[in-house]
Amino acid sequence: MGSVTVSLVLNGEQRTFEVPAGRRLLDLLRDDAGLTGTKEGCGAGECGACTVLLNGLPVPSCLVLAASCEGADVVTVEGLGGDRPLHPLQRAMVERGGVQCGFCTPGVVTTGAALLEHGITEPLEQGRRLAGNLCRCTGYSKIFEALQAAAREPGDD
Amino acid sequence: MDLAVQRVLRPGSFEEAVRVMAEHPHALPIAGGTDLVVQLRDGRRAADVLVDLSGAGLAFITARNGVVEIGGATTMDAIANSREIRDACPALAAASRLVGAWPIQCRATLGGNLANASPAADTAPPLLVAEASVHLVSADGDRRIQLSELFSGPGETCLRPGELIRSIMIPTQHLQRTVREGFAKVGPRWEQIISVASLAHRFELDADGSIREARVAVGSVAPTPVRARAAEQFLAGKPPTAAVRREAARHLQDDISPIDDVRAPAWYRRVAVSVLLDRALTEAADG
Amino acid sequence: MTDGGTPLGGSHARPDALAKVTGQTRYVGDIALPGMLHAAVAAADVSSARVGSVDTSRALEIPGVEAVMTAQDVPGANLIGVIFPDQPLLVEDRVRMVGDRFAVVAARSPEAAWRSATAVSAQLEPLAGVHDPVEALKAGADAVHDSGNLVHTFRVERGDIKKAEARATVVVEAEYRIGGQEHAYLEPQACLAIPEAGRVTVLASCQCPFYIQQGVARVLGLPLSAVRVEQAPTGGAFGGKEDYPSEPAACAALLAWRTRRPVRLLYPREHDLQATTKRHAMRVHHRWGADRAGRLRFAEVDVLLDAGAYAGLSTVVAERANASAIGPYDVAAVRVRTRVAYTNNLFGGAFRGFGAPQVTWAHEATMDRLARELGLHPVELRRRNVLGERRRVTSTGQRLPAPVMAKACLEKAVAASSAGQPARALPPGRWLHGTGTALVLYGCNLHHGGQHLDRSSAVVILQADGSAVVRVGLTEMGQGNLVAAQTVAATALGIDPVKVEVWQPDTTTVADSGPTVASRGAHASGLAILEAVRRLRRRLDPVAAELLGCEPSQVMLGGDAARVFGEPEQTIAMEQVVQEMVRRRIETIATGWYRSRRRRFDPATGLGSPYEFYAMACHVARVAVDPDLGLVRVEHVAAAHDVGKVLHRDALEGQIQGGIVQAMGWALTEELKLSRGRLLNPGFTDYLIPTSDDAPAISIALLEDAPGSGPFGSKGIGEPSFIPTAAAIRNAVCDAIGAEVDRLPLTPPVIVEAVAARHPFSFLLP
Repeated sequence: MGSVTVSLVLNGEQRTFEVPAGRRLLDLLRDDAGLTGTKEGCGAGECGACTVLLNGLPVPSCLVLAASCEGADVVTVEGLGGDRPLHPLQRAMVERGGVQCGFCTPGVVTTGAALLEHGITEPLEQGRRLAGNLCRCTGYSKIFEALQAAAREPGDD
Repeated sequence: MDLAVQRVLRPGSFEEAVRVMAEHPHALPIAGGTDLVVQLRDGRRAADVLVDLSGAGLAFITARNGVVEIGGATTMDAIANSREIRDACPALAAASRLVGAWPIQCRATLGGNLANASPAADTAPPLLVAEASVHLVSADGDRRIQLSELFSGPGETCLRPGELIRSIMIPTQHLQRTVREGFAKVGPRWEQIISVASLAHRFELDADGSIREARVAVGSVAPTPVRARAAEQFLAGKPPTAAVRREAARHLQDDISPIDDVRAPAWYRRVAVSVLLDRALTEAADG
Repeated sequence: MTDGGTPLGGSHARPDALAKVTGQTRYVGDIALPGMLHAAVAAADVSSARVGSVDTSRALEIPGVEAVMTAQDVPGANLIGVIFPDQPLLVEDRVRMVGDRFAVVAARSPEAAWRSATAVSAQLEPLAGVHDPVEALKAGADAVHDSGNLVHTFRVERGDIKKAEARATVVVEAEYRIGGQEHAYLEPQACLAIPEAGRVTVLASCQCPFYIQQGVARVLGLPLSAVRVEQAPTGGAFGGKEDYPSEPAACAALLAWRTRRPVRLLYPREHDLQATTKRHAMRVHHRWGADRAGRLRFAEVDVLLDAGAYAGLSTVVAERANASAIGPYDVAAVRVRTRVAYTNNLFGGAFRGFGAPQVTWAHEATMDRLARELGLHPVELRRRNVLGERRRVTSTGQRLPAPVMAKACLEKAVAASSAGQPARALPPGRWLHGTGTALVLYGCNLHHGGQHLDRSSAVVILQADGSAVVRVGLTEMGQGNLVAAQTVAATALGIDPVKVEVWQPDTTTVADSGPTVASRGAHASGLAILEAVRRLRRRLDPVAAELLGCEPSQVMLGGDAARVFGEPEQTIAMEQVVQEMVRRRIETIATGWYRSRRRRFDPATGLGSPYEFYAMACHVARVAVDPDLGLVRVEHVAAAHDVGKVLHRDALEGQIQGGIVQAMGWALTEELKLSRGRLLNPGFTDYLIPTSDDAPAISIALLEDAPGSGPFGSKGIGEPSFIPTAAAIRNAVCDAIGAEVDRLPLTPPVIVEAVAARHPFSFLLP
């Protein structure tokens, strides 16, 4: 298999990887960059466990070719807080009981952070926008509570 | 797991993309990849070479001279957020928000949704009622076809080897009070669901509330998304009364040929698409 | 801090949450070792065939492949069944279900491993097979196993049905067809086997490391002591990682044993859906009668479980279904028969509720049917028959101690439902509204038949700085066992929960504690911890007493300190007490052990005490139904639970909310579409679990009046949270549409067919 070189900004840091041509962004993150916080739950873009921010928008990294991320800005759950130890949504998820088995959690907080970033705070719309992040444990109630709590946090930026 | 592809070519412009496609006649173009990556992984499609269109400048929406033009690699999210598209084709804006879930919408592209040619492609019915055309380009030249000509069967298009979808063009309408347009889909779940029936409509109404012109297109009820010509012809010139709505649904049956599959039985698809038409007409009558 | 300065009943942050929310938790798939190989499984695509030979030659030619193993290569016993020895790990002469393994492969990359697995070919002589449990039990049906297709029959025989029937003025009869369910844990099956000469360590996503230990030891022919199983952080289980993980673990261990290298096996989602156990599909036949006053007179229930190709845990599931078939109602004459049949379908296994959700769905459907026949409101019929202060004898003749909370749960849930608000406005459509009620009588912990497993081990080690290490034999898989164990230990030791670190189970640190099932995790780990702390205090209290200048019997623990009873100012920090123990070389480690009390039960009649105690619950669902499209919105669920005592409020609520939504999926959209034993929808594209958009508003009422025998009087919640929801939704939908629906799930076509005569496009219906 041929290889490709991919240069991107990963969690704020300029990085270059040489990877097989058929590598998915998910595997670049997990296997090449060692960022295993991003999970593979289905490999078909249906469960959302692999969600990362690509140029500021949530995408299923299992469906993104690494090769197509040349020049992109990628943020994973490990980089969600930026300079802070935790993103406000991460803290709210811990405090409000929004975490159970934890396997969906990185994707949920990533999409959730994007919701807050885009000012989507209306619960009904949040429910629709989070529908690509399946959670089998929580019934979503406490995830919504965490989203509401994080939206109320002042001085996020 | 890595996909079994040997090379990914990354043209830096559309012109280069066209050239690269000509040099690699068996290559597959990839934009959002939300359908193609799954198919490559399952073995439903195979390719040694992929041509990545993310650098080809195909993500754009422009409005001029009575036409809204959408670049082939424009994402569903961008379309749903676009004021131009919400004005020119509200049904398309609505449908784009219903393709997969939000992370898919941030990645999936309009050109990809059409080139994948699923009978369930949610963007197709709105574009069919808008009578959109598609700008196709290959090294041999370019052509413009009606969207209805693009689909030739489930997963099949009239795209020639090396041909790319450059853009989709929608003639703009000045939405007046007398035009009613919308899109609705049905599946066993409310969000992140593949349609088992979908319907886009554009009704132009007379002052007395009767339908001057009806355009209806349906998805997941035929080998490709299709215009419902029999229902449209029946509706033209009629008021959307209960009796007319019921009769329209009967005519709609002649436009479709649904199948039984894992997602729904054919009879349910017939029922669902009829209910969608009935509701679109009821809404039109209610203003 | 609540409850006198202890964490009991509070909502402190779960100890596992921070690592999970930052992506630091290392699940099996996140762990790669030098030299590690990747495993794959060559699985059958047909459900029934005789096997001539298995050819691995092409599979071995794939670059990167290190080993391909078939049944002949198994050094120990090629057997994996939990209870019955009916399941070979690798196929010998018969394929009995889709997913049966011809071979396992280890390769240097997962791509090579799975490609190699598809290159394994088997010479097959296809057999018709049997795919319907009713057909399976008919004379002349294809035998799935030589022993015949009837695996077992359970019964409850109480009272005189004939006599009781004479007093019944209304009799209803119904046949319910209840579909199975996929667990759909977000993390697929995963394990990693690390060999050393003569022994092996297995790291697995699982809920019973001890089952894996037994399975791997048997397959490798090793003593149990040579197999160490550590539970990895587990991304959801719900029963799907009780019995099943022994299979992938044995595969990985086999390959590791052969190649002498670490081998990791991660199931792709499609394989996970196709090959793993499911909630059992059941047929339930009811004949119930009541008198004019609305008092139940008799109940006859006939249950048939589709076990699938292997018995697995099916008989144990059937045992609970059998004991739960009547629900929390006072019925003098009861006859229940529960049969388990082999078919060539995917095999059933453990799944949250363990046979009870299906029979609960049926008894609650019948209660509503009876109410309609009698012209009574469904809640009123329940009031007249439900167990409570005056009626305290269950259908198996077990007399419950007062108070019995079923009636109180009913009233609480009904009130909470009326007061509840839907989560969202309805989308456009034509909507009918309905309300449905369902009750459950949940037998806590293991049934009498599984009582030999009802035991558990804990270790508590006091650290010199006043913190404590706790090890338990029961697992965290998202449900909150870590926070429950932490809360119990912190409360008993009187220290801040952040000073209690509970580590995942490892078979070398605790004794076989049985499986983490039957809502027994917090119960059995907690009681073992309490016992360990009691033993520790026999050594700690005299030291503290000496330092405090009091009698050992006067020592109290609390606020990270030892204190003197009645003299709150007199304290000494826990840290100092432990340091003094260390200085004097006093043992700061203690083990704890729990076993359930013995009880009387007769398996022949099904009478006696199948369970030590019960948790009761009532769910009331409010739905909106679009009858034209057959779509349902669950708007609100009110849940009243008899919990004994709240250990950790957020974890408890999280179990209830999660149970309700998982059950809603089973009720409405999660359909296992099988064709000749093959799953046609093995992916999340078409196996539809609820999304955030589907989540109903949920109101929770917790009743703490009837203590259980768990730590501090608590009762398990994992399963009672799930069991009544689907029944409540079914009853609400039927209330909305004015028709009975006797199938689960209630998919759009099922609902449209139920309203066929009144459908605006009835001419299009079949």
